Amino acid sequence: MIIGVFGLNHTTAPVAIREIFYLSEDIIPLLIHDLKTHGISENAILSTCNRTEIYFVTENIDETVQTVQQVLQKHCSIQHDWLTSYTYCYTGEDAYRHLFLVASGLDSMVIGEPQILGQVKDAYRIATFHNATGFFLNKIFHKTFNVAKRIRRETKIGYNPLSISSVAVELSKKIFGELKHKKILVIGAGEMCSIALKYFKKEGVQDILITNRTFYNAQKLAEEVMGRAYPFTDIAQLLTGVDMVLTSTGSEQPIINKETVIGVMKKRKNKPLFFIDIAVPRDVDPVINDIENVYLYNIDDLMNLSQVHRADRMAESKKAHAIVEEEIIKFSRSLQQMDRGPLITDILGKAEDIREKEVQKALSRLNSYDEDTVKAIDTLTKNIVNKLLHPHIQLIKKNGTPQVLETMKRLFKLEGCEENDDEETVDSWDKG
Amino acid sequence: MSFYIFYCSLILYLASTVSYLLYLVVYKRIVEQIGYYTLISGLVVHLLATILRYIQAGYTPITNFHEALSFLALSIACVFLYMKREYKIDTMGSIIVPTISLLLIWASFYPSDIKPLPPVLKSYWLPIHTIFSFVGNAIFFIGFFVSVMYLITERSVKQKRSSALSHRLPSLEILDRVNYRCIAYGFPFLTIGIISGSIWAGFAWGSYWSWDPKETWSLITWIVYAILIHNRLAIGWRGRKTAYMMIIGFLSILFTFFGVNLLLGGLHAYI
Repeated sequence: MIIGVFGLNHTTAPVAIREIFYLSEDIIPLLIHDLKTHGISENAILSTCNRTEIYFVTENIDETVQTVQQVLQKHCSIQHDWLTSYTYCYTGEDAYRHLFLVASGLDSMVIGEPQILGQVKDAYRIATFHNATGFFLNKIFHKTFNVAKRIRRETKIGYNPLSISSVAVELSKKIFGELKHKKILVIGAGEMCSIALKYFKKEGVQDILITNRTFYNAQKLAEEVMGRAYPFTDIAQLLTGVDMVLTSTGSEQPIINKETVIGVMKKRKNKPLFFIDIAVPRDVDPVINDIENVYLYNIDDLMNLSQVHRADRMAESKKAHAIVEEEIIKFSRSLQQMDRGPLITDILGKAEDIREKEVQKALSRLNSYDEDTVKAIDTLTKNIVNKLLHPHIQLIKKNGTPQVLETMKRLFKLEGCEENDDEETVDSWDKG
Repeated sequence: MSFYIFYCSLILYLASTVSYLLYLVVYKRIVEQIGYYTLISGLVVHLLATILRYIQAGYTPITNFHEALSFLALSIACVFLYMKREYKIDTMGSIIVPTISLLLIWASFYPSDIKPLPPVLKSYWLPIHTIFSFVGNAIFFIGFFVSVMYLITERSVKQKRSSALSHRLPSLEILDRVNYRCIAYGFPFLTIGIISGSIWAGFAWGSYWSWDPKETWSLITWIVYAILIHNRLAIGWRGRKTAYMMIIGFLSILFTFFGVNLLLGGLHAYI
């Protein structure tokens, strides 16, 4: 049994591709069931605007990845070559290292962003709800949550979205005074926006305009915060009528440039305009901060003001990675220990089978035997088997490295060892 | 008599100054309130002193440097209290109230004895011209402080300094709005002050406009503020640019008020 992950994220695929791969909460259960009917009984699906990943447990990695690709193709309109050019596949230790990094926000666009942990939890919850998690995924996901919590606890990597939002609100108050009658435009309908919006609403901001590339998401957020949704193409017009702009889209290119803002400021008669750009990469061209009466703060500026400095964050990130590695060593060891038990019973079982068969053969050749003889033969053979196996079992128990386990499997010609040959070797090389 | 009351008001202003400066350090509401009420009582006593002086002298007591500074301080206190009622600019008190005290201290260095009024000043235009001019100046005084405050705050926000988060300075929008109020109220006062002065000059000196340095400089000041108003209303100037213009206008006022008398002299040599 081996855990694997197949998927794509913001480093391997541009936003347009990620959007196509995005799986909504309505589709995920269908995929889970499809995967189950294809024999992947343990699977979990994580899909956010920055990544879509399928975690699975399998015996045969190649076959499973193919199945996963087929199922993905069935549910999203993706071209076949995308499945190879934009994706990655990790197995074994690399797979759970990846999951640890993802859950603790180290694989995110904004390092340390906290939403991802909730999203991983949701993915696990959905998988459990649809009976798609078993012994392995349960163990791995629980470990993941522990690791993520430990990183949050022991490092300052996780910036506080609350502190970011409250800094943004403080700055708005510094610029506008009372926020009661101010209008805010939200570009992008992500979770960060909705958290920040709560803070603005607390300050009495009532007029909330929301726009998003996918209009449906804008509408959804608009319903949630009692705002109004507008089409994405209206941005320039919307900018003339608002006071604050909160952006957090997944766009690779800035969506608001200097020319637009200069034009907008003329129409606004220089009424101050405050941009809060919490997107990575930036949504707003940084030079617009130079325009009079325009103020621009991006996520780094906000973080600096919330007194977490960049250099600190780099150091904290290193610390977090060290924790991940430490946890991986511990986790790999515990997984190996889990592997040893069944192997020992397998070896003992196989030996017992052979012994029994041989005893039967020997007895059938004898013409007459009494119970004492049978008992004596039994004890004799058992003792021989036990004495022969004892060093092996001791070796497995005391020094059960993957290599040793592998050798043992081969020595005793245990089932499944031929099929697993390739991946097991890869796995053990990684550890070496 | 009015002299002692004048010092009483100075003491109250100084007490208010202390609380407003303390407010800057401790930032407690109660400290600000103490400063506020001492300022009001200082203003009442100051007003009483001025009225007493008016009764004693028999003319509007804005005829020499002592009286001018004193009246300017009185006007600034009035304008500040008015603006403070309208907008949340408490911390502005920490600059304005000390300024009021300094003006009064400065005034106390000048001879304050009541002399008979020079015949040329004996006119109904004296109170009209002086009161309008001085209230106008006081409003622009506040406008100057607000503009400086605006520029400091704007800079800290633009440059993303941590001081941008300080609660102690008023918000940019309020500063800009007060700034607009200052120009909107100050400009008519200044205009009436200049026109009434011109009419009075017509009676007293025989010519409505004689390009006396005081007249010239007040005209320059007026033009600066006129341009500011025009740009603000027509072009939509806001924020930084208007703040700079307010400061230029105020420097022009300072020169008209002090510079002309000290350096250029001329007909308008009383104050």
